[in-house]
Amino acid sequence: MKLSSLTCQDCSKAAVLFNSKKRILEFISQLAHERLPHLSQQDILSALLNREKLGSTGIGRGIAIPHGRMSGAQEPLALILVSEQPINFDAIDNRPVDIFVALIVPDGDSELHLKTLATIADKLNDKEFCKQIRSAKTDQDLYQVIVEQS
Amino acid sequence: MRLEDTFLIENKLGLHARAASVLAQLAVQFDASITLHQDNKEAAGDSVLGLMLLESSQGKEVKVVCEGPDAEPALAAIGQLIAQKFNEQE
Repeated sequence: MKLSSLTCQDCSKAAVLFNSKKRILEFISQLAHERLPHLSQQDILSALLNREKLGSTGIGRGIAIPHGRMSGAQEPLALILVSEQPINFDAIDNRPVDIFVALIVPDGDSELHLKTLATIADKLNDKEFCKQIRSAKTDQDLYQVIVEQS
Repeated sequence: MRLEDTFLIENKLGLHARAASVLAQLAVQFDASITLHQDNKEAAGDSVLGLMLLESSQGKEVKVVCEGPDAEPALAAIGQLIAQKFNEQE
């Protein structure tokens, strides 16, 4: 599995400007709804917020992986956003977050979910990849890095 | 001190993001270097990304190696967390 096969150009956003966890999750759910019109933005947002209530998806080093398992999702979708300013996300290392790899995943397939997580972890574990996506100036630049590096 | 033991992943979702975060947050509390091994992969216990790379699903066995002054309590605590299914229902 490749990260580039999980995402799309319209799902890659560079230099976004949001000042709170709620605002960026709203934007993510709006983007996901545009890609998956059969899922409502409200349902996507609820899935993401419910997951955050169980514990922040801020996994450290300025990275968060907000995600929602949704029965209406056919296959995993990744949305990759880089924020111009890091946002307080209650991350496990208390650092604010500027890299968001959001996932909408089908409910019920644990193996597929673990594979999807491993795919994004493999890229996010690569410091050079993180440096390159952080320095992408436009959505197109960001998507280009994702396609070239994965 | 260096100690190791092998544990069976019993929870339905395996070592998914939340389980990996809980394990990493536990691991940093000990004065020990903690490594998890599964198949031919290994990950630092305090790295959520590393733990997710293991792709440990239900039924997999993971070897936990703890090295340092807190090796004994660290191994016991991590073993307990895995056996308690990361405090998940199923």
